[in-house]
Amino acid sequence: MKIIICVKQVPEIMDITINPETGTLMREGVDSILNPFCEYAVEMGLDLKRRYSDIETVAISMGPLQAKSALMRCLEMGIGRAILLADMKFAGSDTWATAFTLAETIRTMENDFDLILVGKQAIDGDTAQVGPELSEILNIPQIMYAVGIDLIDNNKKVRVKKEIEAGNEIVEVKLPALISLSKGPMIGSVSSFQEILDARKKELRVVRASELTIDENELGLKGSFTQVVKIFPPQVKKTGMVIDGSEPQGAAKKLIEFLKQRKVV
Amino acid sequence: MLSWSSGKIMHEITSEAVPSVDFKGIRCINNYSEICQDYSSYLCDESKLAHQGAKYLFFPTNEDELSAIFKEMNEKNVTVTLSGARTGLVGGAVPYGGAIVSLERFNKVLGLRYDTQSKEWLVRAQCGVTIRDLNNWAMKKTFPRLSESGSAETKAFLEKYKETDTTYFYPPDPTEMGAALGGTVATNASGARTYRYGATRNWVRWIRVMLASGEVLEIPRGKYFATPAGEFTIINSTGNETIVKIPKYVMPHTKNAAGIFSAPNMDLIDLFIGSEGIFGAITEIEVALQKWSNPISIIQFLPSDDKAIDFVITLRKEKSIRPELIEFYSSHALDLLRKKQTEDPKVVGMPPIPDYAKSAVFFDLQFDPEKKDNDYAKLKKIVNRCGSTLEMSWAGYEQRDLERFKNFRHVLPETVNTIIAERKKNIPELYKLGTDLAVPDYALEEIWGFYTSILERAGLEWVGFGHIGNNHIHINIIPRSLKEMKKGLLIYQKFAKKAVDLGGTISAEHGVGKIKKEFFSIMFSKKELKEMRAVKNALDPVCMLNPGNVLEIEEK
Repeated sequence: MKIIICVKQVPEIMDITINPETGTLMREGVDSILNPFCEYAVEMGLDLKRRYSDIETVAISMGPLQAKSALMRCLEMGIGRAILLADMKFAGSDTWATAFTLAETIRTMENDFDLILVGKQAIDGDTAQVGPELSEILNIPQIMYAVGIDLIDNNKKVRVKKEIEAGNEIVEVKLPALISLSKGPMIGSVSSFQEILDARKKELRVVRASELTIDENELGLKGSFTQVVKIFPPQVKKTGMVIDGSEPQGAAKKLIEFLKQRKVV
Repeated sequence: MLSWSSGKIMHEITSEAVPSVDFKGIRCINNYSEICQDYSSYLCDESKLAHQGAKYLFFPTNEDELSAIFKEMNEKNVTVTLSGARTGLVGGAVPYGGAIVSLERFNKVLGLRYDTQSKEWLVRAQCGVTIRDLNNWAMKKTFPRLSESGSAETKAFLEKYKETDTTYFYPPDPTEMGAALGGTVATNASGARTYRYGATRNWVRWIRVMLASGEVLEIPRGKYFATPAGEFTIINSTGNETIVKIPKYVMPHTKNAAGIFSAPNMDLIDLFIGSEGIFGAITEIEVALQKWSNPISIIQFLPSDDKAIDFVITLRKEKSIRPELIEFYSSHALDLLRKKQTEDPKVVGMPPIPDYAKSAVFFDLQFDPEKKDNDYAKLKKIVNRCGSTLEMSWAGYEQRDLERFKNFRHVLPETVNTIIAERKKNIPELYKLGTDLAVPDYALEEIWGFYTSILERAGLEWVGFGHIGNNHIHINIIPRSLKEMKKGLLIYQKFAKKAVDLGGTISAEHGVGKIKKEFFSIMFSKKELKEMRAVKNALDPVCMLNPGNVLEIEEK
């Protein structure tokens, strides 16, 4: 059985700074990480691998060469091998062009897959579109916002616990299928030092546009239906004082002093 | 350490008067009930030691105001307790009457320069700047206000600093990053990274100190040294001379925060570093920065505490492996955390501690994630020799991993504090018995054997953790009753005596403050304590500053 996990590298920032001149993200001094929801998908893939025998796992990402580090994280966690789609021709891809390129890669190189796992959304764009688009292009069923997966019927089907507005729903679907993960384990796993060293010996293949059988007009900016015109941070409302909560006792003291000074308590 | 490059070695130093200001214009709370009601946090620090009240609480904004306060208090015969971020663990900032002088408004970075001789970047800041801010500024290369209000020279250095590809940081890491720089210098703070980088003393290049007289000494490292007879001469602005005779005792060859620093031909700057504010208020400091290289944090699980000790000793001997820090969680510590994980896994923030883990050693190594052929064969061999494998470890190198691992290192003392706080509800007199002893390298095995044999026989609840790389394992005894606490106190005395017998110290990092003086007599003779007292009397004749810190308050 083969499980493919599609992942994305994102900037690890809480307060995004935008260059006012260019309208682009200021990435200086900002670390890039594996998107947390993608990490949940990786954790789920590895959990299935542990629980059921004979499962191959492959992580795929599209992005600049720096995105290798996000795939390296997957390999350290225990994923078997990884593919990075890196080419200037992919630059500027919107969600459709991204899904289309991923789909063509899977069709061309990993067509014997049984299950595709994705994070429900990336924390930078928050679109939650690539997963559903990928399943549409590949013409396979999709289940969104999963929180638990079991393989059933001799690994021919999956039983999925998914989030719905009022709680959870259990659904079953025949494989191949695509599932997006909403939540991971409360406490994320940690790799061993040996796993970190071994990951560097695993296959991490970089695939260029020329290795895919896609018309250039369907790649990157050319193949995108949408374009980002402008990015801007939400207007910050100066409505209060923020007390650093990293030291709860000190923070509580500051809060009490503040309230006392204003005769609130 | 640096030597002063532009002049001869001197034994005499002159203190300068600072401009006088109107004392009445300085912000002050002069009502005890108001201090208790609205400013109670200034009456305690992290030691939770009971205060003895305070008549005044001052908030000076500069040296001129601080000098005016000192002069006024001196005249009124009122003692002064200096207050920084109050993160100390031995009651150094807890007032025993008199006035509290908060230095929190001394919070500006003053300069940045590159010293071509020592090839170091140096940051000059006021004492109230926190270690967290200092590190953030150094690593992100943005020093607030310097680019606008710094001198032309500073601005030029700042530009050059920004252009360098290298990232720099300030190595002393006293765990509590909210600590004020001045406080860390006054206590010679250390922490996990002391293993590789030494304590705060190693990074201080220059200080300004306000003496009890209200005059200021400016002391660069490498300029003022004790005479062969062990003396310094301080000449005040009116020409009066004071001889300061340094103690003759030999400092332990370990990480140490107990007692006034003393060494033959010592540098004057070292007399003030670690003196816990009893000689003066350190107002400005220049510290050196260090090149930052990406580390990987590793938590190596081992089959027993003895194997962990063996692992540390072997790791230290292997010179090709250079850990940034080496820390320890004993078997009991892991058990306590396992229990915590079942109650509240989020607090611990790590996957379940494996059943096979009977002890753990944390260490950071330099690591290049881009490199494919990282060679850790020697480390693997040491780990295997100690009955474990690299598979039996946790490791991470991304910033979020490093923070997660650091939190895991800190969760144990916090867990112990929570247990004690819970028990205090029924027995208010109960408190944690936390040792701060360190011994020289040769004695690590011996002291650990001593600790465990006594503690296991006594049947007390305890954990061992901390800076094992510096042979500085904190033993926390968690008493369940007053009887156990009394038993624990006697054991603590035994441990302290043993540590000193082995050439170690009664306080490796917390300092002495007001609550560790009871162990002082184990480490220092009456004659040596008198020598310390003589330094205090020379520099602060009326014993105005930080009464009760380090030395007993003398009856007048």
